[in-house]
Amino acid sequence: MAQLVAIDNKNHLHLTVDSAKAELHGAGLHLVPAVMSEFTNMAVQYPLVITKHADTGQFVVAAMLGFEQGENLFWRDGQWQGLYLPLQIRRQPFFVSNPEQKDSGDFVICFDSESPAITSNDGQALFSDNGVDTEFFQQAKSCLAQLLAGELANKQLLEQLEKMELLQVMKMEVTFANQQCTTLNGFYTIDTEKLAALSAEKISSLHKAGLLQAIYTLITSLGQIHHLIDLKNKQLGC
Amino acid sequence: MNKLTKTVVVVGGGIAGWLTAGRLAAKHKSNTEQGLKVILIESANIPAVGVGEGTWPTMRSTLKALGISETDFIRECEASFKQGAKFAKWFDGTEDDFYYHPLVLPQAFGKTDLAAHWLAKQTQAKQENNHQYSFSNEVCFQEAICEQGLAPKTIRHAEFADVANYAYHLDSAKFAVFLQKHCQDKLGVTHIIDDVIGVNSGVNSANNYTEETDTDDTVNKGDILSVSTQNHGDIAGELFVDCTGFSSLLLGKHYKIPFKKCDDILFIDTALAVQVPYDSEDSPIASHTISTGQEAGWIWDIGLQHRCGVGYVYSSKHSTEAEARAVLAEYVGDKFSSLNVRKIPIVSGHREKFWQNNCVAVGLAAGFLEPLEASALVMVELAAQMISEQLPASREVMDVVAKRFNETALYRWDRIIDFLKLHYILSERTEPFWTDNRDSKTIPQSLQNLMLEWKYRAPADHDFTSNNEVFPAASYQYVLYGMGFKSDYCHTPYALDDCDFAASQFIQNKKLTDKALSLLPSNRELLDKIKTFGFSRI
Repeated sequence: MAQLVAIDNKNHLHLTVDSAKAELHGAGLHLVPAVMSEFTNMAVQYPLVITKHADTGQFVVAAMLGFEQGENLFWRDGQWQGLYLPLQIRRQPFFVSNPEQKDSGDFVICFDSESPAITSNDGQALFSDNGVDTEFFQQAKSCLAQLLAGELANKQLLEQLEKMELLQVMKMEVTFANQQCTTLNGFYTIDTEKLAALSAEKISSLHKAGLLQAIYTLITSLGQIHHLIDLKNKQLGC
Repeated sequence: MNKLTKTVVVVGGGIAGWLTAGRLAAKHKSNTEQGLKVILIESANIPAVGVGEGTWPTMRSTLKALGISETDFIRECEASFKQGAKFAKWFDGTEDDFYYHPLVLPQAFGKTDLAAHWLAKQTQAKQENNHQYSFSNEVCFQEAICEQGLAPKTIRHAEFADVANYAYHLDSAKFAVFLQKHCQDKLGVTHIIDDVIGVNSGVNSANNYTEETDTDDTVNKGDILSVSTQNHGDIAGELFVDCTGFSSLLLGKHYKIPFKKCDDILFIDTALAVQVPYDSEDSPIASHTISTGQEAGWIWDIGLQHRCGVGYVYSSKHSTEAEARAVLAEYVGDKFSSLNVRKIPIVSGHREKFWQNNCVAVGLAAGFLEPLEASALVMVELAAQMISEQLPASREVMDVVAKRFNETALYRWDRIIDFLKLHYILSERTEPFWTDNRDSKTIPQSLQNLMLEWKYRAPADHDFTSNNEVFPAASYQYVLYGMGFKSDYCHTPYALDDCDFAASQFIQNKKLTDKALSLLPSNRELLDKIKTFGFSRI
């Protein structure tokens, strides 16, 4: 469990972070959340699926990294092997929290004190000696800002998909080279037939809202399942 | 003579009226120009009886057929999940006396008779002085879910999807309002608020019809042409649905179809009902109906989101009202003194016919039994479904449909009466109410015949030959073996042939139980999440 501590330049003036170790947070993830602004980068290697949040049942978009809990096929030799490191991993060990639970936009930047990326010496500093944000910390903040904006964009996308009834249950059975079978459960995808049957006005409204490209990227990315199967087969030695 | 069915007039609001109007309107597209016209006339002066806060899983298909979102329904009707019934103190009245009638069928039901194998295990456990496990717990994973107060699904499940089969508990007053709004706004039902003051038929009525007086051959003899209202004139239609509750305005008063009482079989004739608030906002909500045997009847306890509905149904021949109030007060506890007690008479029975001429009765106008096993709403749903699916296209076929409807409904009432009676006849309680219930003169012959067969084997689907069964054989098994009945298989040992398969199924049930217990949230937790997030459609 992440232990979040609010960052300030007095208590954490000498805190340093080894960003290379941030990758460790993704070592055992078979799904990693994805925001709309990174769909294109994600789709180069990872299948993007829609699934439901365990606590809320709300739809979320995630990149698939493995076929079962704990399996990340892009994690080998203690390193992330993918071309693109998802924002959700890159943001480690930083988080934003909204302690007042208000919509005021007053966010507090926190770090996870349990994160392996937190070091006391040989990492990158967050603050200069006089307490000003370093370039590293500024980048980390912009990463968090991209995530926050992305969550809003995702919400808009998923609401439209639900409203237009463009989601369908994804049913897929995968057989690996060693004849082992797995059924993918709990995933949803775009219903391409319904999408194709949408009226010109609805298509246009999706386009104007900046969602159409994201929808097609979601569809295209599913081809990467074959890439994932290939990685699994290689891991199995087949 | 052969008028097309273009307009259906439903007389009476309430859940029966709105469900019937809704099923008709949804199926026959009343919200389009060409669709069937459905008019519902509701009196502003007659309050709904508002009985029936328990449903069957059929309510899920009913809501779906009406195009209702499960999330909206749960949010607006204070609904909660119901996974069957727990019968406490029905067998001998001791504190640990209880059994479940869950909604999930026994494991591998239809593939093997686990009842036979369970009975064999019981005998063995008894000989070895081992702990004996209840039938419903050994063959079904739902009892464990209920005992832990868990919901039948998670927030990740789609609307109407489940882990364990479920029905609902609902606030019937809110449900009637909810249905009304949906029927009017979405389904195109025409709502007239007015009092029906007269019934106009081609000739006076079916009863005093004489061929000589019938001169108008465009009208089928004795059919209702219209009903007269106080302020809206005569409302005409080709089919009239009587949903006027106990007063049974059309079928009972107009057509004088006799009422067949069954108080010689089911003794309960009075209900005392209260609405009990929860102790706090996060008090657990039971995900099953709790039915607790008492000296002259039983108490229902139904947990909704905002309160519990509790009531004592008893036989006034076996208890005075003062005694009954004391029993209910004892059950409810300290809160009782501040609660408003509603007394509702129950006349157990049903009309001899339900569809006469061009008039069909649904709901209390057709009949009513004590609320054991929540038969009231399911009978409404089944009738509404049958009327909408088999709606006679013209007067020519109406009598054919009516005959089938009457046969089916009569069969269903008889089976329900048998099944309710079954709950009483195996008890070993000693109060007069219970001993009178076991008098064979009060047990229908059809039930006695089945009990004779079940001495040698478990209830099976082939015991019930209609394709319109209300209760599956599994329900009879749950009640029989829950009440300690022992079928003796020594003359039918073939039932135990597949013991390896049966053993694997007992293990499978344990696995399913463990999985469900680890996966499911509490009933209250899920209901709170539905209020915040809702279910998605898929």
